[in-house]
Amino acid sequence: MDEYQTEEETAFIVEDVSKVIKESVEVAIGGSTYQHSRVNQWSTSVVEQCLSQLSKMGKPFKYIVTCIIMQKNGAGLQTASACFWDNSTDGSCAVRWENKSMYCIVSVFGLAI
Amino acid sequence: MSDLLKDKSQRREKRTVKVPSEGSHGARGKEATVRTKDSISIVSSMDELGHHDDNARMVVTMENTYQMAPYKRFPVPAVEDILKDVLTNYLQQEKYEVEWSQKMTKTICEVIRARVKDLMIPRYKIVVLVHIGQQCGQSMQMSSRCLWDAANDTFASYSFKNSSLFGVATVYAVYFE
Repeated sequence: MDEYQTEEETAFIVEDVSKVIKESVEVAIGGSTYQHSRVNQWSTSVVEQCLSQLSKMGKPFKYIVTCIIMQKNGAGLQTASACFWDNSTDGSCAVRWENKSMYCIVSVFGLAI
Repeated sequence: MSDLLKDKSQRREKRTVKVPSEGSHGARGKEATVRTKDSISIVSSMDELGHHDDNARMVVTMENTYQMAPYKRFPVPAVEDILKDVLTNYLQQEKYEVEWSQKMTKTICEVIRARVKDLMIPRYKIVVLVHIGQQCGQSMQMSSRCLWDAANDTFASYSFKNSSLFGVATVYAVYFE
């Protein structure tokens, strides 16, 4: 079988992914204030929305999507990642989103098949 | 003489100014901030895909292996032991501090990646995520979902807690077909 997809179509494009992430966070959380009972629902819908949008792009990637929602009360949080993969095809994108009452950190890793 | 001294002190100033800016941003990374009415979002990603030295490397075309599944599955219990070992060793006696934990998340990431690489599991790509947070009565939730082949791809996770901080480390292992 020959490769019919061009490099443009198979690459991990950070701009597109970050747009997908921001949209899904805005849709799921938007301007809501932190409510403990709704966090579960929010994080599920952020992650699910992201994955479904990413899979709609139809690129040959496996995706890992993680979402952290934390209440704002002055507590600190650091996250870091390290990867062992093919630098030329695989990529990552992290978005830190916040509103008045919470932080939401979404990171997406795309690993080429 | 006085000019020389001045020059030196200026130079020193420059150096001291430079240090924090290097520390607060990633060594090679890109950040873009977007503000809307009541929310802020910051995107961070690797600056460019691919190292410069990659170009020097020869492109090797492999023969077909006709291999459908891994010879060796990713050993989740062994990796969980590594995570437990590393997190308890590094965090047990510590108190949360911003500067320290910025460095520590990166260090722990590197250590875990190196230890998992040492297991020598062929054809698995590894993603290590480490979070260190302060404990002060806040509520928070982490969730993740993956689009992958559930038969071969897997993850290992461990969380550590003491009185002032918590640390969560997750390793995702994705089989490269």
